[in-house]
Amino acid sequence: MILDVMGVTCGYGSAAVLEDVTLKVARGEMLGIVGPNGSGKSTLLKAMSRVLPPRQGSILLQENDLYQMRPSRAAQHLAVVPQEAGLDFPFTVEAVVMMGRIPHLKRFQREGPRDREIVRAALRQTNTLELAERLVTELSGGEKQRVLIARALAQEPEVLFLDEPTSFLDLNYQIEIMELLNRLRYEQGLTVVMVVHDLNLASQYCDNLLVIKNGRIFTAGNPTQVLNEDLIREVYGCEVKVEQRHPGSRPMLVIQPFNHHRNNIHLRVHVVGGGGCCGLLFHHLQERSWEVTCGVVNIGDSDWQEAKRLGFGVVEAAPFSEISLEEDQLNRQAMLQADYIILAPIPFGIGNLPNLGAVLDMAERGAPVIVIDEGQIAQRDYTGGQAAAIYNRLLRSRVYAVPDSAQAMAVMEGDTEFARG
Amino acid sequence: MQLVNKPVSLIMFFLSLLLLLLVILGIGIGAVWIPPLEVLSLAGGHLDGSSAAYQGQMLSHDIIIWSIRLPRVLLGAMVGTSLSVAGAIFQGLFRNPMADPYVIGVSSGSALGAVAAILLLGSTGLRYSYSIPAFAFVCAILTIFLVYSLARTGGKVPVMTLLLAGIAVNSFLSALQSLAMFYSGDQMHQVVFWLLGGFSSRGWEYIWMFMPYALIGTVIAFIYARELNGMLIGEEQAQHLGIDVERVKIMLLTASALLVGASVSVSGLIGFVGLIIPHVVRLLIGPDHRKLLPMVALTGAIFMVGADILARTIIAPEELPVGVVTALIGGPFFIYLLRRHKTALYK
Repeated sequence: MILDVMGVTCGYGSAAVLEDVTLKVARGEMLGIVGPNGSGKSTLLKAMSRVLPPRQGSILLQENDLYQMRPSRAAQHLAVVPQEAGLDFPFTVEAVVMMGRIPHLKRFQREGPRDREIVRAALRQTNTLELAERLVTELSGGEKQRVLIARALAQEPEVLFLDEPTSFLDLNYQIEIMELLNRLRYEQGLTVVMVVHDLNLASQYCDNLLVIKNGRIFTAGNPTQVLNEDLIREVYGCEVKVEQRHPGSRPMLVIQPFNHHRNNIHLRVHVVGGGGCCGLLFHHLQERSWEVTCGVVNIGDSDWQEAKRLGFGVVEAAPFSEISLEEDQLNRQAMLQADYIILAPIPFGIGNLPNLGAVLDMAERGAPVIVIDEGQIAQRDYTGGQAAAIYNRLLRSRVYAVPDSAQAMAVMEGDTEFARG
Repeated sequence: MQLVNKPVSLIMFFLSLLLLLLVILGIGIGAVWIPPLEVLSLAGGHLDGSSAAYQGQMLSHDIIIWSIRLPRVLLGAMVGTSLSVAGAIFQGLFRNPMADPYVIGVSSGSALGAVAAILLLGSTGLRYSYSIPAFAFVCAILTIFLVYSLARTGGKVPVMTLLLAGIAVNSFLSALQSLAMFYSGDQMHQVVFWLLGGFSSRGWEYIWMFMPYALIGTVIAFIYARELNGMLIGEEQAQHLGIDVERVKIMLLTASALLVGASVSVSGLIGFVGLIIPHVVRLLIGPDHRKLLPMVALTGAIFMVGADILARTIIAPEELPVGVVTALIGGPFFIYLLRRHKTALYK
């Protein structure tokens, strides 16, 4: 363990901001400290970077008490990239980065060629070499941030602390900085501890996340263990969706703007499905917890399985058999009770042709029908043209034709104006 | 903001020449005009031993130069250096280009100490003893630590509270000083004249009582030049760079107390030098204290010798207190700088 924080309580004045915090940081680890504003993230960073002595507990850097070390010795191991630049005096960029060499120089020692080489390397790594002669007072926020990172790297630290390193940066620089930190970690075994606001950035780049709430560790672990909807609700008090693009990928937070329609409506929807093409549509419907029926689908079909699993009402037919008259009647009843009838882009054969007929009847009677039309009906017509004929007639009647299930949801929620028919 | 890109050593060379010329001119000027060449040849006589043969006018000129003019000019140069270096320390330490020995109350503290010394020791005939700068230094350092502890909150000394504490202590000390002067009786005229600031009739004894304090203070400041750069970018960042911030503050504040205490003891209150010299030099060569401090030391000396020459010539044969001259030059110039760099200063 390169850093060992043991039972640390600290704060400013009389109030304790952090209480009884214990954690370990392994060499080469990238640790993200996250949590709401005022939760004590920056205070923890101050305590760990030898700026704020703990009132109780201790912090060990490679088994040595951090606060017993000489300041210059500690600064040979730890470097800090502060949140605020504070570069108000007209030093050149190179002079500011050269200050990173201070802990390595003896009192009367001047900077030598090796120091200059280290400074140039730090400038190169942070893409600030071309700024070297400029005055820091003339730089943009993003440039200043990179100069501060260069200065920290010039300290040749083993542990790098960053307090929201990307908060003032454009997206390209955010990624550039995170990639740089990632590279330093793999190439030089640098340990990185940072306070991060952007949970997605934290999730993508950090090995582990430490979640702080009200001055205490709420939970810790890798992003997949830590980031979920319940945690966000408990710690931040808001609703987001946490998605994984594929199994094993880092969780992503998706913000869902509050939708005033969505909250007030409760619909009953009948889906004409089959052949496994309703997966996404079912997912959207289930999210709304509306009342959903589906039919007529053959038992064992993947849409049948999914509808059953989600607890939808299903009008079912025997496997691989044609829809019977009775089943058709049940299907039409379900359609009549629904606020919307949705025709999924299913393939048609003789067996499920009655489904298409039922939808056309409903549409011509004026019931609200949404057709998810991906075009090219001929390719999913296995009836020799019959289905295509009915389908085209359907499209000419008063239906909402939409390209995908998301648009179908939008029609039902009244988000967009789709011309009907 | 960096106006000059010439090598610092070259600038230093020309400034040294300028200082030498001003010193020779300063020695020559007075009730008896001694031309610069005569000053040089008389000084040269002391080097090759021919001064023993000086007679008549040569002898009297030599005595004027050696025992009256030279100590006065040298003292002026050294006080200029000390006040300017102290100003540079305060400005760097408090990250405020407007900070100055007077703003944070150190000058008032020194003056109170010196006034007390003059009043207490005046009747005992020890007025010009070495104890005056000691009194001034002790009061300066007490003032600094009073201001410092007033301003200190939660282990830190924020700039704003420090400056406010400085103002409060400053007005209190000024009141005490006025009170002391009120009870000073027939010595009041002397004290007032001394407080106005100047170098008239300051002999070698002033140099000897000034030197040790100023030398130690200047050396400390030069030793901590690199740390002062770190402090300039912020206390917390200085800590990140492994600088022992509290120790640096104590060392540098002690150094500035030595410099200000010694200066005030020998020449009273001379304003604007500590404010204006570091400010102008920073505009010229940038904020790196390793270059800034030597240049400030030299420029401060030049400024003060020049101001003293003016003080002696403007209403000759009468003499103005040099503090009046520095304020008359410094005030408007400072206002001009303030207006010109307003945006840069408050950004």
